[in-house]
Amino acid sequence: MEDRMLFILMPLVLAVFVLAVWGFGYHHLHPTGIVACLLAILVALPNVALIVIFGFYLSEEKDEFQRNLLVQSLLWAIGATLTLITFWGVLVTFEVVQSRSLVWVFPLFCLFMAIAKFMVRLRYR
Amino acid sequence: MSCSIKNAVQRRFVINCWIGAALVVVLSAATALAVRVAHLHGPLVYPVAVLPALPIIWVLFETGRYLAEEKDEFVRNILVQCLLGGIGGTLALTTVWGNLEHFAGVPRLDPILVYAIFWFFAALTYPVVYRRYR
Repeated sequence: MEDRMLFILMPLVLAVFVLAVWGFGYHHLHPTGIVACLLAILVALPNVALIVIFGFYLSEEKDEFQRNLLVQSLLWAIGATLTLITFWGVLVTFEVVQSRSLVWVFPLFCLFMAIAKFMVRLRYR
Repeated sequence: MSCSIKNAVQRRFVINCWIGAALVVVLSAATALAVRVAHLHGPLVYPVAVLPALPIIWVLFETGRYLAEEKDEFVRNILVQCLLGGIGGTLALTTVWGNLEHFAGVPRLDPILVYAIFWFFAALTYPVVYRRYR
């Protein structure tokens, strides 16, 4: 069930992200007020759904080893993302670098999750 | 709070989390002071900027150690779900806020706050998950 949902959601996440960067990032669209808020929430929904599915998968996975691999990957990804964002935040505070949009936190987390999963699997081979 | 926890592994984890949170505050203040007093600028700020991030790595390392050592699968499962709630809430908020920055012109959110936001959502998830299993 989760596999099938992921099969639909992953392309949806990518499509929504590309649409958001292209449409909103380059100001082709100019929503304001409530419409802007609703669109922002709409764009975030596939990301939330992805995490919810991840949670369902973890609670339903019977193989403890597989579950353990995922939890370890999750921890590494959270750690790497938060560390990098905090490091970036300190640099922004001291005006060494410019502030960037927080839209990049989700793709960054996904990237670290993929790297962590690969490394953890490599460790147990 | 930690004194009421009978499980030694849990107690160590909770104490380490509090120490980690205190260290983030202390190191952030120390970094700010160092930069202001020593007038650091440019590439010199980079190694100093790493300091507040170090306790974050340590706390997450401790979380991993706790998950590996905790014998009670139910407690372990609750913590994993709280972490999921934490990261889910954080990613949702940062995505919504990031998009609002783009097309509604809301002020930029300080990236330093993301770590606090993560634990806020993780703490918020705890009663929800706990109630579900009662």
